[in-house]
Amino acid sequence: MGRFFYWKLAADNIRKNIQVYLPYILTCTATVAMYYLMHSLSQNSGLGKMSGGDTVQMMLSFGFVVVAIFSAVFLLYTNSFLIKRRKKEFGLFNVLGMEKKHLARIMMYETIYIAVISISAGLIGGIVLSKAMFLLLLKLLRFEVQMGFEISGSAIVFALLLFGTIFFLTLLSNLRQVHLAKPIELLKGGQVGEREPKAKWLLTLSGLASMGTGYYLALTAESPIAALTLFFVAVILVMIGTYCLFTAGSIALLKLLRKNKSYYYRPNRFTTVSGLMYRMQRNAVGLANICILSTMVLVTLSTTVALFVGVEDVLKTRYPRDIVISSYGITDEYIDNLGATVAQVLENHNLVMQDPMEYRMLSFVGIAQGNEFLTDEPSLNISPSRLKTLCFIPSEDYSGLTGEEVQLAQDEVLLYSQGADYEYESLSVLGRTFSVRKQLNELPAVTEWDISGRHFLIVKDMDVVEEMYHAQADVYGEHGSKLTYHLQFDFPGDVSEEGEIAFYKDLRSSLPSGGVSRYIESREAVKDEFYSLYGGLFFLGLFLGILFIMGTVLIIYYKQITEGYEDKERFAIMQKVGMSREEVKRSIRSQVLTVFFLPLIVATVHISVAFPFITKLLAVFSLRNTLLFATCTGGTVLIFALFYGLVYHRTARVYYRIVSM
Amino acid sequence: MYILEVKNLKKVYTPRFGGNQVQALSSVSFGVEKGEYVAIMGESGSGKTTLLNILAALDTPTAGDVLLNGRNIGSIPQKEIAAFRRDNLGFVFQDFNLLDTFSIRDNIFLPLVLARKPYQEMERRLTPIARKLGIEPILAKYPYEVSGGEKQRTAIARAIITNPQLILADEPTGALDSRATDGLLRLFREINEEGQTILMVTHSTKAASFAQRVLFIKDGEIFHQLYKGDSSEEEMYQKIADTLTMIATGGERRG
Repeated sequence: MGRFFYWKLAADNIRKNIQVYLPYILTCTATVAMYYLMHSLSQNSGLGKMSGGDTVQMMLSFGFVVVAIFSAVFLLYTNSFLIKRRKKEFGLFNVLGMEKKHLARIMMYETIYIAVISISAGLIGGIVLSKAMFLLLLKLLRFEVQMGFEISGSAIVFALLLFGTIFFLTLLSNLRQVHLAKPIELLKGGQVGEREPKAKWLLTLSGLASMGTGYYLALTAESPIAALTLFFVAVILVMIGTYCLFTAGSIALLKLLRKNKSYYYRPNRFTTVSGLMYRMQRNAVGLANICILSTMVLVTLSTTVALFVGVEDVLKTRYPRDIVISSYGITDEYIDNLGATVAQVLENHNLVMQDPMEYRMLSFVGIAQGNEFLTDEPSLNISPSRLKTLCFIPSEDYSGLTGEEVQLAQDEVLLYSQGADYEYESLSVLGRTFSVRKQLNELPAVTEWDISGRHFLIVKDMDVVEEMYHAQADVYGEHGSKLTYHLQFDFPGDVSEEGEIAFYKDLRSSLPSGGVSRYIESREAVKDEFYSLYGGLFFLGLFLGILFIMGTVLIIYYKQITEGYEDKERFAIMQKVGMSREEVKRSIRSQVLTVFFLPLIVATVHISVAFPFITKLLAVFSLRNTLLFATCTGGTVLIFALFYGLVYHRTARVYYRIVSM
Repeated sequence: MYILEVKNLKKVYTPRFGGNQVQALSSVSFGVEKGEYVAIMGESGSGKTTLLNILAALDTPTAGDVLLNGRNIGSIPQKEIAAFRRDNLGFVFQDFNLLDTFSIRDNIFLPLVLARKPYQEMERRLTPIARKLGIEPILAKYPYEVSGGEKQRTAIARAIITNPQLILADEPTGALDSRATDGLLRLFREINEEGQTILMVTHSTKAASFAQRVLFIKDGEIFHQLYKGDSSEEEMYQKIADTLTMIATGGERRG
């Protein structure tokens, strides 16, 4: 026998079994490509430089770990299915006089062929794909994105190691199977019945419990800052719940359905329920993975889209007027000075102010304890949710902002609370107790949200504000707050962008200081920066979204197709027993439909539950347009579902063709 | 009155990519009376399976008619064919054709479920059949957990639970050991004695010797037939063996 006999035999074997090996190789290739893309993106230097990029990279690193585990589980399973189909062939070789060590050699060569083909195709595919996506997306979005195409060496090395190991493991498991079996068992290998799945009630119940707790935590979370850690716990719980319910819960549910005789013994349900039970046993972990990754991608995609689309909204919230001037540590003289300077610079630029808003304010932090706000408690070890910022504004300034005359007694306040509602009738701080005369629904000029939540108190006059100023300065000493003055105004609509920026630069250099720290912000000047930041995030979201949709959908597609070959015989029997083609079609449709859409449906439920929380989180990013976010979330889910639907349609058709061949 | 009538059945396979046409059946005519137990014997390639497939409406003839209870199978529209098969025919196959994903009970229920029968009726029908076939203890098990004989008895239960006009059996003993074969053949005879019409295709002399009538098929034609009459299984066995020898050695046709 020639030296290359086994190599040739191995290649022939793959060629002969191309019908099952092609999907396998393609799946391996897609998995490798997906892994490479995730890993290389997490190493992308441009992304690291982008603001917020490091967080995204951390998420991606988590993502590629998930993909790695997913790949291992998935490929090992697919392989075991493949080898089951081929046992007969090995049995034949064995019977024809080939020793097991020769079989092992053939199997090794086969694995090497497949590994080399799919890893190299996957890496090339991953590199080409990432290049193509960068080009396409950069062309689509006409703005500067600070990330570029890179080939990541470490991602390649890791991919080689990871998938080399996975293929080695598949080889080991194959060798074990062949080694243990007798030739006659090998010959019959393809016919060994699969054990009926057992219902694991304990796992189902713990899955329900952890999912329920996770949902409860997510739904009851209040302010974003307080809930962030809690939310993380919720995410973990929901993940555990998802895995438990997909693996154990699905089978338990199907068993319950089967117990209900009048439900179960109906033509369509009969085949669907029993078929699904086996299908879930094989696919549950994969589907749970897909569900969790889908949730992650959908959340990323919808938030980044919302931020990008809502960038104007964000700007308007963050900067209520075209020009925003904030000064800390003010005096009356300073305010007059500032007004004069602004008027002067406006005149120089031939501009006028529109809708100006000005107010004085004192804000400091207190620790909430019922309706009392403490200032003397050491701030260590305090739940962040108790930290509240109290903002005092004199009623005359409030009248100026709203045009509404307010008469307040010495200890009366109007209260506007951001975030959670304020549930008490009065409020005590620094030895003073104010009774809340009325709660306000909004406060013009204050559109930005603080991460901890703020209470705005409209008090009788500036004297009260100053009294509070001295009181808190005594307690906090050098960490005490200063009195602030805020002036904001718009320009008429016809002022050009350049004009605004020129004014802004001029004003910045000519404002009086006099021991006052002041900040001048121009909406126009930061616009580009915002677009670049949110555009970058948007790009990343799209990139991951597209990558992920392609990956998962392809995987499900090939998986269903391979299962089609297994189910062929089953449906042939049913047709012989008197199942019509229509019924076969219907049964296939409902099974494939479930496998396809279950992860998506559960992911959608996850997202709906997370929605209120994410809305609060986005408010911190100054996006408070809930409708916009809802639209983006809905739209993302819809597009995702649409794409899914297309591939599902195709899968069901191919599947039916295989089964009815 | 024939329950099944086959008239001048002809089947020619035309390969899709040209090549020689293969004539599986040249001209087959016979009839099966209600309550009869008929075996069709022939060597591999004689056209047995083609015949059975056509009778089962799984394949269509090139020419000729199959009448079941006077109704031409060929005239049944494609949409109704599955229901027709389900309501009128019961199948027993050599390799059992049980579904691994269903328990023995559910395998037997399958045709009734497809016929949308209520569950109570399924149970009612199953009880006497399971007792008769001795499969009561294994109803909750799965096909891979039971023996070949038990599998075949399950298949029989599935075939008779619909009270079909006709049971079609394709080499039912082909995958069974001799003890299971004996048991199965006795069962077939019992069922037949209760009035069930059976048509069995086989090349086992033993299996055929249990039938009331044996048709011999060769080169796509009915070549000969034997009536059992009052003879015992042993006598019938001898007669069949003689006929087979004659066919194999190319003896004269006699009728």
